[in-house]
Amino acid sequence: MNRGLRSYWSKPSHAAYLFVAPVILLLLVFRLLPTLASFVCSFFDMNMFLEGRGFVGLDNFAEAFRDKRLWNSLLVTVKFALVEVPLQMVVGLALAALLTKNTVRNRLCRAVYFMPIVCSATAVAIMWRMFLHSNVGIMTYWLSQMGWQNVNFLNSVDITFYVIVFMSVWRSFGISTVIFVSAMQAVPGELYESAEMDGCSKLRQFFNITLPMIRENISFVLITRLIGSLQVFDLVFSTTSGGPNYSTETLVYYTYKRAFSEHRMGYGSAVSMFLFVLILLITVAFYAKLYREKDA
Amino acid sequence: MHRKIKGAVSYTLTTLLLAFVGLLIIVPMIWIVLCAFRPQTEIIRYPPSYFPQTLTLENFINIGQKIKIWTYIRNSVIYCLGTTIPSVFLNALAGYAFARIDFKGKHFLFILVLATMMIPFQVIMVPLFLEVYKLGMYDTYAGLIIPNLAAAISVFMIRASFAGLPKELEEAGRLDGLSEFGIFARIMLPLIKPTIVTVIVLGINGAWNDLMWPLLVTTDTSMRTLTNGLAMFINGSNQHGPSFAGAVISIVPMFILYVFGQKYFVEGTATSGLKG
Repeated sequence: MNRGLRSYWSKPSHAAYLFVAPVILLLLVFRLLPTLASFVCSFFDMNMFLEGRGFVGLDNFAEAFRDKRLWNSLLVTVKFALVEVPLQMVVGLALAALLTKNTVRNRLCRAVYFMPIVCSATAVAIMWRMFLHSNVGIMTYWLSQMGWQNVNFLNSVDITFYVIVFMSVWRSFGISTVIFVSAMQAVPGELYESAEMDGCSKLRQFFNITLPMIRENISFVLITRLIGSLQVFDLVFSTTSGGPNYSTETLVYYTYKRAFSEHRMGYGSAVSMFLFVLILLITVAFYAKLYREKDA
Repeated sequence: MHRKIKGAVSYTLTTLLLAFVGLLIIVPMIWIVLCAFRPQTEIIRYPPSYFPQTLTLENFINIGQKIKIWTYIRNSVIYCLGTTIPSVFLNALAGYAFARIDFKGKHFLFILVLATMMIPFQVIMVPLFLEVYKLGMYDTYAGLIIPNLAAAISVFMIRASFAGLPKELEEAGRLDGLSEFGIFARIMLPLIKPTIVTVIVLGINGAWNDLMWPLLVTTDTSMRTLTNGLAMFINGSNQHGPSFAGAVISIVPMFILYVFGQKYFVEGTATSGLKG
């Protein structure tokens, strides 16, 4: 019997199930099950001990639609994505174009630009909070020397949002730069040589050769950064806690507040459904476009 | 001649621009290190002075008294190693099976793995938290680690590396009488070492910097990780000096990892699109 069992599992096509089993099991329990459960949770009123009014039907969603703070956070999140992502991509593309060749200077620059990514958002927040401090920050001091007095970077409704955008770009433009550099290096050199002979300027080469050739990489970065930026949390948590006056309160931060500070798990789930729908729409739109392009 | 001058001018301008961006990265980093070694009185002096007049370790001593820094560091190390080492082994096993073995339902199972990659963590955080709580893993290392063991992106990267190896390798192993697991562990796994190192390096960095999950599943201060504990500390106090010391302590290990593993960071990012 033991022998039979052994020989059964020693067959490659059977052993494969043992190989994938742990990962599949873990993903089912800790990824797919919670995904389904998040829909279910959003119909309940409960705290973390599962106590509360229990099943409340669509009450959470009815409340959500009337919740001004939710709509505000949705707006902040979308605005963040629409400002941060294009900025980061333009910066990444421009720098990658300048850094494509593997010279010593370029290698050094790439290594430096990537540095902030290995730092935690908390460390980045501590760094910039000091740099931009309203009283003793060195940036504030420089600005006051140039005539701008009392700029309050971290606590003003108009500016603080853009400070978060800046910090986010600062922290992660190295990612898009690195991806674009490796894409640009793969563009065949002959294309540039013949353009050079036709007297094409570098700028025109960039727009007419480089950009079309790396289109797929651009969409890849666009979609991953877009989805990533809709989930921004760490920087907000450690820099502003959503303030001032909710001007930097993103959807995920708001979900966190409702679910884990006020212990309203059901309502938190309902709020996170908005994020889910947002990301789903983008993903579907992206793949639909990809599919159509492949078809054509 | 005219062309040469033009080339030199554009090279200089490019270098200046690149150097400016580089300074934008480096200056705040150097600033934080300089501040970490200044006494509190000097930090809050206005106008700020560029170079510390007195160098002191008081911030590093202070942070140790304000928060349980050694406990936080220990927890971070446990979280990092706990989520990467067993994880890379399990994900490699699965990646190997998906890349090299034909079995019934393989396609379906692989789609399943890919589908989990599309689920944003923030969407499932509430039910995942409830699940971990109900399983009695709240405030435990198990709760921190186990839900993060299986990572679709690692399976995906490892599968791609295994798929590139020649077919004869397994045949040779089978002729030698190795079991399927033996072929995986002794022949195939060593051949994709760069990918394994990449997954481990990115995993360690991700776990060290992770704020959200430790924030949700731990509440006892003796269970906090460094990133999480520091974030709590700066949200609750106005003490700049110790927080700079904390930031430096949190950055240095990752910086060392980056210096030695830059290649892996860059390769991993180019293939997986690391989230930031």
